[in-house]
Formats: sequence, structure tokens, C-alpha cells
Amino acid sequence: MTDDPLLTSLLAAVAAAPDDVPLRLHVAELLATAHRPADALAHCSHALTVEPGNPAALALLQRITGALTTGAPAAARTEPPTGPLPAPGFDWAKAEQQVSDIRFTEPAPSEDVGGPPTEDFRAPEPPTVRLSDVGGMDEVKQRLELAFLGPVRNPGMARQFGATARGGLLLYGPPGCGKTFIARAVAGELGAKFVEIGIADVLDMWVGRSERNLAEIFRTARRNAPCVLFLDEVDALGQKRSHLTHSGSLRNTVNQLLSEMDSATGANDGVFVLGATNHPWDLDSALRRPGRFDRMLLVLPPDARARASILRHHLQERPVAELDVDKVVKATEHYSGADIAHVCDTAAERALAASMRSGTVQALTTRDLLAAAREVTPSTGPWFAAARNVALFGNTDGSYDDLAAYLKRNRNL
Amino acid sequence: MSAPGADALADARVRVAHLRQVRRLDDAERAARDALASWPTDAGLLCELAAVLLAKERYAEALPVADAAVASDPEDERGHRLRGLLLSMLDRHPEALSAAWTAVSIAPQEPVAGIAYTRVLQRAGRLRDAAQAAGRVVSLAPLSPDAHFLLADVAGDLGDTTTARRAYEETLRLDPEHAAARHDLAVLDARARKPGRALRGLIDAGRLAPAMTQVRSTVVAVLWQLSGRMRLWLVLATIAVLATADDPLAARIVGGVVLLLTAALGWWSLRDLPRGSWPVLVATVRTDRPLTLVYAVLAVCLLVLVAVVVTGLGGLAILVWFALVALGVLTLVVGLARTRRQRRSGR
Repeated sequence: MTDDPLLTSLLAAVAAAPDDVPLRLHVAELLATAHRPADALAHCSHALTVEPGNPAALALLQRITGALTTGAPAAARTEPPTGPLPAPGFDWAKAEQQVSDIRFTEPAPSEDVGGPPTEDFRAPEPPTVRLSDVGGMDEVKQRLELAFLGPVRNPGMARQFGATARGGLLLYGPPGCGKTFIARAVAGELGAKFVEIGIADVLDMWVGRSERNLAEIFRTARRNAPCVLFLDEVDALGQKRSHLTHSGSLRNTVNQLLSEMDSATGANDGVFVLGATNHPWDLDSALRRPGRFDRMLLVLPPDARARASILRHHLQERPVAELDVDKVVKATEHYSGADIAHVCDTAAERALAASMRSGTVQALTTRDLLAAAREVTPSTGPWFAAARNVALFGNTDGSYDDLAAYLKRNRNL
Repeated sequence: MSAPGADALADARVRVAHLRQVRRLDDAERAARDALASWPTDAGLLCELAAVLLAKERYAEALPVADAAVASDPEDERGHRLRGLLLSMLDRHPEALSAAWTAVSIAPQEPVAGIAYTRVLQRAGRLRDAAQAAGRVVSLAPLSPDAHFLLADVAGDLGDTTTARRAYEETLRLDPEHAAARHDLAVLDARARKPGRALRGLIDAGRLAPAMTQVRSTVVAVLWQLSGRMRLWLVLATIAVLATADDPLAARIVGGVVLLLTAALGWWSLRDLPRGSWPVLVATVRTDRPLTLVYAVLAVCLLVLVAVVVTGLGGLAILVWFALVALGVLTLVVGLARTRRQRRSGR
């Protein structure tokens, strides 16, 4: 928040018209002048997203990044520079001077190619969240305990009953339903460090570098054992190789992932590989074999108790008058956690607008939230349309029995 | 020696292309826009962003990006190709044809340019030209399943089912996991009144690409087609049963023969189905409420015929007629409602 009433009004105006580039740039200028370069940068970046190449935005961006990297006040120049665009007329000499203290290595086609090892830029820490911090979702927690946590905690007993603690766990379900949070909670339960990996951490233009990045990530996990290695959107990294006929690099990345999964779960104790995906059916079938992601857990949209928790969480720091949680919970059935957050944001935006109009704080009411819930369509719909087909045609080995049962319960199958 | 930043630019292009390939379209768009903030006039990046927006079906937004790519590098085939495809999706066919033709002229040996030109011709309704262009693409890339699939698709639209079937089969020979080809070949089977083969192909397509949503609707369509055959057969069978209504023995015999023939016809129609298909078909029937009702009523009709065989009361067959008339009305209403809905959604 800011004490400057002008800035407050302008920020409200930006919230109402997020794609108004001149307004954004004006706000960014004011923020930069107010020695808040990070906030200014956010507005400037948004302006550039809307209008890539906007000269004023590029000039301001250059100034703000300069302020951020050197610590010099961004407000030194209040007028955008005139003349040629920064891209063609970029001052290489100045740029080199700015980065002269950074050590560069020449790219080489050897093992030394690339930046520092993954471990150096990612210091894994055990998360503080536990499964008890996940509101509701008792069924998921119970299955997680039976299928994964139990065997991991009691490997001897699991062995006696023919179960195994080896192999990874694949969390799947519609987007925005808390797969990442559950993965963190699993790490918290195991007292293990948590390393989250996305496709951006792996992909690289150099031939062989993506595979090397992946190998380095697994090596780091092994060094930090016990460690939960969480592969977010794992279908992007482990897509069906038959779909990647045009990209040898991506195929090799899948091969590397298969090989790392084998070594991580075989010879290396203490590395628990968790994956999350919205599209498990796009995963290469080799990744689902024993020792790899041989256990799947369906993470569904939050149940009523979980929705109530999510609602309370998102409303706890907002002014709320009377609130009938049950009514809102009922109106948000099949909504993902992210959708519920969106409902709260929409209702809050409305209340803020009303407050600004009236000049007094208008607290949120059940009516505001119900109106917002009517406006926000649950994002899980398209996922369930595809999931229904999967349950119909793709459930030959019973992998999607949970999904089929859920769809039947909801009369979708 | 490359200029400073050239590697970063190449990296950005490759990153966007990879993200697009693995269908991380939001991430790809973000990466492309971030990179464009640094290289706003780079044709490669502009093409990548246009391709991402094309994949996201945001055609109107993508067109100016493709225009910018062409302005930035008019000699690059890809910008023209993307422009052609986008203009075609926006139903601006003459401009689309001109852009796609420019792409083909710049890179006449490039199969992807030929594929785009064929698609644009197809969408513009110039099917004969499209078939010719598709033939050229096949000659350029005889080992590409996509080229044969394109030819099959265009030939199917032209009504040349022989060429279409041959091209689909060639596509599947080159890529046995080509779910779209399997689906479309099944559609040809359904049109050729081979529902068993069609269902087999559709179930295969569903298993290859479970998220391909049109498979379920095509299975439903084939099951409607099957139910239509069954209703027609029951109309004729009921006439025979009613004709013998005065004689209980004759009614029993005719009823029994009808039931036997029904079973034989059912087996004949569905003999091509692979093992394990029944649960899929039953579940699919249950996803479509009117179809569920139709099959439930047909089952009741067969029970009535069983009752005729058991009791010898041929007059009971009149109930089958009533049921069939009710089903006829239901089919008509559902058909009209669905056609109207399809028209509204612009499909």
C-alpha cells in the first residue's frame, strides 16, 4: 500500500483498466520517482507485454533496471529519452561495463558447457507445511497415506505385505486444485527437502544441455537426500515420444528422465520423486512402469470442507461483514482452489470500487461472493470433458478407476 | 563470431518452440512476449508468437503479429504461411490464398508450406485445387504421415472415398498411432454402413488419444445409426408378427424367428468389435441420455417379442409399434435440437 493519495487512485485506475499502457507508464514513472523500482518494473513489464516495443516503456525499463542493478535512484531522469529505439541503438560498451564483474565462460561442446550446477542456484529446504495444513480433502490424504507415505515410513512392514516404497507418485487432476501444495505437504510429512522443477529449469537450446540439466537436478536431489523432487507439469518433460518425432532434443530429454527415474528410485535411497500433471494421458507410457511413476493419485476439486477453508483463507485479510460460508461453499461446487481465489478477488474488486465511490469501506457480503461465483465459470469444466473420454477409452488397465468412480458419482459417466 | 545477445535470442526462439511443441501454450506465449520486449522486431520470435496464438485459436490477435513478422522479413516463408492460415481461420479467403501462395512461391520444395496452402484452399471451398495441392505435398514428402492424412482429408471432402481410404491406410501404415487418421477412417466406415468396423476404429482412436473429445461424439453418432437400423428391422418384424396374431402357434414361431434373426443381425453388425469393447459402448450409451432411452426402449421391444413367444399373443406386438413411433418422434426432436445447437455454435 502507499500513503500517496494520487498513487492510490492511479493504482485503482490501473486495476480497473490493466491494459491502458500510458496509464501504466505514468504509474511506473511515479513509482520509480518514489524509489520503488521493483513495483515500477512490474508495471513497466506489463506495459511491454501489452505493447512490445513501446519506446517510452523500453526507455523506462532501461532506467528502472539500471536503478535495480546499481542501486542508483531511478528518478534521476524523469523524461523518457528521445531518439532511436534502445534495441538497435543499444549501448554495448556501457552494458559490458555494467557486467564486467561477472565471470563468463565460453560455450564449449564438452561437459563444462553451461552455467553453475543446479545445486548452486537452488538451495532446497524442508517445507514447513504438513498434510494437516491442507484443508479438507480427507480422501486424498487417506489415499496418500496408504499408497505412498505409509510404505515410505514403514518399508519393512510394506515389504512383508508385498508393497514397496520404491517408485514415484504421480498427482493428477484438474488445474488449480492444489497438487503442488500437496507435494510440499508430503515433503513436510517426510521431513525431506523439497526441490520443485518445471520445464523452464530443464529446457535449453544447446544440444545435450537439457539432458545434462536434468541429470544435474537429480544429482542435486541425491546429494540433498532425504529429498522430495517435485516435477511440476511432468507431461511437458515426459511427453509421449511418439508425439515428439520432430524434436530429437525433447525425445532425448524423455529418455534422460526415464534413466534418472530408474537410478533415483533404485540405487539412491532418500529421493522421492513426485510428479504433477493435468494430462497424465499425455505421459510416455514408459514413465508409468514399475519403479517410475507407478502410483497415481487423483487430486480433485476441493470438497465442501476444503472450499470453506480456502474461502476463509482468502477472506481473512479483507473486510467482511456478514458471511454465510455454507451458501458460498454450495455455490462453488466443482470450483478449483484457484477459481475460489478468483471469486474472492472479483468480489473484493467490486467492494473496493463501491468503497471508492462512496468514500467509506464497504465490507464484503455473502451477496457479493455469490454474485462473483455466478460470474466466474469453474475452470475445471474442459478438464472433465477430456477426463470423461479418458475414463471411457483409456482406462484399459484400471489406472483411472478413481476418476471413473468420481465421474459416475457426479453422473458424468 | 556472433553478436552479443545472439545466443540469448536463439535460446528464446528455441524455448518458445519447445514450449509450443509440448503444448505449454501459456508459458510459450509468456516466453515469446518476454523475449519480444528485448527483440521487438525479430521475425523468428514474431512467427513463434503468431504460431502460439494460432494454436490457442486467438486468430485476430495473432494476425498483426504475423503481419509484423512478414514486414520484418518478407523473404521468410513462415511469416506468409502463418498469415495465410490465420486469414483463412478468419474467413478472409482471398487474402489467405494470396499469402499462402506467396509462402509456396518462396519455398516450393517445403512440404509444410504446401500443407498450409492446401488447408487454405480446402477452407476456401476449392476442393479440386486442394486435392491437386495435397497430391503435390505427398510427392514432396512421401514418407510423411501428415502429407497422406492431408490428402485423405481433402479426398474425403471431395467424396472420393477410395482415395481417402487408401490415403488414411497409408497414414496408419507410416504412423500406426495416428489417432486422427484412425478416427476419420472409422467415419468413412460408418458412412459405408459398416458400424462394427467403425466402432472398432473409434475405440482404437480413443485408446490412442483418450483426450480427443470428438471420438465420443462419433461413437454416439454410430450408435444412433445402429439404433436406426434396429428400429427399421423391428418395424418389419412387427408387421410379420401382427400378421400372424390370430394363430398363437404361428405368432410364437414368427416371434422366435424374429428374435433369432435379431440376434444374428446384431452379431453380424458388431462382429468386428475387439474384446473388451462392450463396457466402453455401454458407458458411452450412458453418457447420452436420449440414446440411453432409445436403447432401453429397444430392449423393452425385444422383451415384448419374448412375451409373444412365451404367451402366443401376437397382438402384443402392437406395443412395439407404439414404442417405435414414440422413438421416431424422440429421434426427430433430438436431431433437430442438436442441429440447431451445432448451427448456433458455428460448427
